[in-house]
Amino acid sequence: MEKEEIAPHVSEISRVLGNKVSEEQIEKELDTYLNLYRVSLETAKRSVVRKLGGDPNALSKGVQKKLSELSGSEQSVDVLVKVLTANRKDIEQNGELRTLIYGLFADDTGSIAYTAWDADRFPLERGQVLLVRNAYTKEWNGKPQLNLGTRATVESQPAESMSLPEGMDVPIYGPSTAKVADLVEGMNSVTITVKILSVETRKIESQEGARTFFSGMLADETGRAQFSAWHDFNLKKDEIVLIRGAYVRSWRGIPQLNFGERAEVSRVKSPFPPDLDLSRPQPRVIADLETVGGAFDVLVAGVVVDVKKGSGLIQRCPQCNRLVQNKLCRLHGKVEGQYDLRIKAVVDDGAGSITAVLNKDLTEALVGITLEQAIKEAREAMDPEVVKEKIEERLLAKPLEVRGNVISDDYGLMMIVSEARMFVPEVRAEAANLLSELEGAQ
Amino acid sequence: MIGREVAWRIFSAEYNSSRLEIKGEGERAPSYIVSPLGAMVNRVFLVGVLTDLENIGTGDEPLWKGRLQDPTGNFYISSGQYQPEATAALSKIEAPAFIAVVGKTRTYSPEEGTMYVSIRPEKVRIVEARERDHWVLETCKATLRRIDAVTDAKEMAAPTVDELVKLGHSPALAEGVVKAVGHYQDVDLGRYRAMVVDALKFLLPEYQSEMESEMPSELAQRPEEVEDEEAVEAAEEEREEKVMAIITKLDKTGKGAAWDDIVNEVKSLGMDRTALEEVTNSLLDKGLIYEPVLGRMKRI
Repeated sequence: MEKEEIAPHVSEISRVLGNKVSEEQIEKELDTYLNLYRVSLETAKRSVVRKLGGDPNALSKGVQKKLSELSGSEQSVDVLVKVLTANRKDIEQNGELRTLIYGLFADDTGSIAYTAWDADRFPLERGQVLLVRNAYTKEWNGKPQLNLGTRATVESQPAESMSLPEGMDVPIYGPSTAKVADLVEGMNSVTITVKILSVETRKIESQEGARTFFSGMLADETGRAQFSAWHDFNLKKDEIVLIRGAYVRSWRGIPQLNFGERAEVSRVKSPFPPDLDLSRPQPRVIADLETVGGAFDVLVAGVVVDVKKGSGLIQRCPQCNRLVQNKLCRLHGKVEGQYDLRIKAVVDDGAGSITAVLNKDLTEALVGITLEQAIKEAREAMDPEVVKEKIEERLLAKPLEVRGNVISDDYGLMMIVSEARMFVPEVRAEAANLLSELEGAQ
Repeated sequence: MIGREVAWRIFSAEYNSSRLEIKGEGERAPSYIVSPLGAMVNRVFLVGVLTDLENIGTGDEPLWKGRLQDPTGNFYISSGQYQPEATAALSKIEAPAFIAVVGKTRTYSPEEGTMYVSIRPEKVRIVEARERDHWVLETCKATLRRIDAVTDAKEMAAPTVDELVKLGHSPALAEGVVKAVGHYQDVDLGRYRAMVVDALKFLLPEYQSEMESEMPSELAQRPEEVEDEEAVEAAEEEREEKVMAIITKLDKTGKGAAWDDIVNEVKSLGMDRTALEEVTNSLLDKGLIYEPVLGRMKRI
């Protein structure tokens, strides 16, 4: 390996060693390992750092990860991404004005919000495919975010080195026509036909002064979503509109439709069946929710395959409502916990699974036990687990239909349930239909 | 995101025909069994009849082995001390019983080239016939989805996950199907389609007499280790099932089948009134039928 090639590694080792060792000495050591003993570069660097009294783990590992693998605590990571959005923003830092770029990156496993802290070094543009090296991640609002700081570098890659799932990609061939159920964080130039279920005028204070916008709920035959219109399109409840040039952003993990003054809104004839109640959610397949990552007010059905730890009789901190374990609140220390009931059930439809979280009222109704009875039973058995066992007895292996908002976290999909019911499936009628379809096809 | 492994719905005939295993590499990477129809299974949900259950371990170190029957064959389950929850549940269950199992796949390869599959349960619950019927229906639907995906894949020169997803198959299934068509040569889709048809008929009372006539051949396929005592039991079971079918058939009003009609009908089976009484008493004891009014029998 030539001297010029070695130089960046020498300075990296020097940094790891806290600049306590001269670069000449590092270069000599590294040269010996590489060119005399001919070991790999990685081994050589680790050996030199160890020999000179440093921590080899502090070396940049150059680990390349998929976006879905990012935990929010990577100190140095490489990713291959496509730039979905790139927005410039001026900030003042230490009295100096600087420009940063923020937006969304995506790969075939998902998308992530990013901030490039220097617009001059990282002139990111929508649609680019980039190999980002030495970025770091931080967790914000429970999700990892990618940061391009002083150590990061970006290398342009050929566009065909990245293919994204449909619906997620930057639209290249013009606007994409979508249904509500397809809306994914980061989509742009969306064309969609919906019914406005509700609309209200709202005001926010921003740096540019007060701003009026319009928000509410919309729906099509696949589902419902919340929207924000940043321009007055004179939207009215119950009208059917065709929106062109909308975009999707998530709020607390749930995709919302946004459209501003560059969007077009026109009134159209209703394409929906007249007897379809758009204000009710339609049943969805859990695997489809995994593709979009989050959704507003959906209905899914499956079998309860697990009742998770933390279900049953629990205690909450009277000050912050957090879970109290062993009489300790994570924030407030030793507290007198208040009893509560909840269920965290895994509902599985054979192609996907979701953790459904049910509050006290839903738990009481579904299991047929009140909080007071639960407390009493736990006291009598001297074990709060009896309540969880009762829940398992009632729910496990049984069909359950749940309705609510869906978000995703590190462990998959989660639904905050607003309605839950156990149902008796129409097995015979469905079996007869399916059979006649099959025999008809033969 | 480390998603939870989905619980596949799969019939024993398809599951037991699996000969491809994908071992997870690295720490905590899951392993999968790929079925001939491309189910890439790590976890399953099953409901069936537990027909045999035996502790071949000791009291301290139990090892429960069981056989769970579905309309297409048997699942083999085994649960030991490392599955405390399922083992505790099994120790309280007596065969026969309808049970639901959430479990993980297991493979056993005594020699190169052979592979046997079984299930290691995580959760075991006693359920009712209703839950079993629901499972059979769901599993029929899931099997048909896989047949469709394999059919689509076979029409492609070189099937890829992307192409299958574009046709509307889920990414997880698409991945399994691509692996399956590469490994299993000429999967007999007709056989699996016929299996689904039979399973659907199993759910419909109007086809039960048709199913009856096929019963003896199925019984003949039971393993050789069936001893005399078991053979007698099997014959009894067979008679019970036939009487059940007759009761279902005669119960046209939903008020139950009249006793005299049943007596007439069983004559063709070579059973007299006394023999019939023996069978109905046994069925009443098992809670499979009841007497809504005197002189009428009805299926529960």
